[in-house]
Amino acid sequence: MMKAKLLTFIVIAAALFLSACGKSDADLTKAVNDKLAADKVTGVTASVKDGVATLSGEVADVTVKTKAEASAKSVDGIKSVDVNGLKLKPLPTATPAAPDPALTGKITESLKKAGCTGASVAVANGKVTVTGEVPAAKYAECIQTIQQSGITGIDNQLKKAAK
Amino acid sequence: MSAQEKYQSLLELANQNGTTYELSEGDNGTLVVTGTAPSAEAKQALWDEYNRIDPDFKSGDLILNISTGDAAGGGGNTYTVESGDNLTKIGNKYGIPWKSIWDANRDILKDPDKIYPGQELKIPI
Repeated sequence: MMKAKLLTFIVIAAALFLSACGKSDADLTKAVNDKLAADKVTGVTASVKDGVATLSGEVADVTVKTKAEASAKSVDGIKSVDVNGLKLKPLPTATPAAPDPALTGKITESLKKAGCTGASVAVANGKVTVTGEVPAAKYAECIQTIQQSGITGIDNQLKKAAK
Repeated sequence: MSAQEKYQSLLELANQNGTTYELSEGDNGTLVVTGTAPSAEAKQALWDEYNRIDPDFKSGDLILNISTGDAAGGGGNTYTVESGDNLTKIGNKYGIPWKSIWDANRDILKDPDKIYPGQELKIPI
């Protein structure tokens, strides 16, 4: 009789203890990693301790970092997320699409076709310096034309012409 | 603040509107974004965001090189002949020998000495 009572008590106590505690760190770690995979966040692993998710790994760019943090935070039982261990992948060095004289010729001709007369460019090691003056309505298009030519840097001194 | 952080909202927008891109690092930390947008509207939205973050594109810390899927930048590299041009002169504008322009345009040119204003020559760069 006493034994049965004691057993009942232990079972109830254990149940209360577990529900108060919520999911274990191991369960949460799995839940966060599953969520990251479901949200197609790659290169990130999570480990959870006391409800704090610590993310680590190398991500392609800053948007993936933000997404990983939001994913982890959305998991039930996660109190906070530590992203200090998430590193941005170093970027490869940009290479100019063509040698400087070829870029100069290409940009000059594209500017002419875009109606950006008044703008002139000089290219050194893939970096363009653009000077001159174009009509205000043309300004954005002229800058677009230059940036789409395969350059790796820009010094924009182009001015909008006063009416 | 890194250029990636500065232009984060632009990159988020690209992810949302279906623009695929790759990042690289250009001159002195310049962020170079090379990619393809699904439509002219999507591309324009990115340029609008660029202009919002960096008014008149003056900072020089971003190169936004986005093309739209269909047309590859308006017909590739062509040069429109002006009066007074000859192949040598045109070659000099691009730092390439006249003969490479001749070779690239044999389908439309009969004689390297005979080119006419308004002709569209392919430029092999």
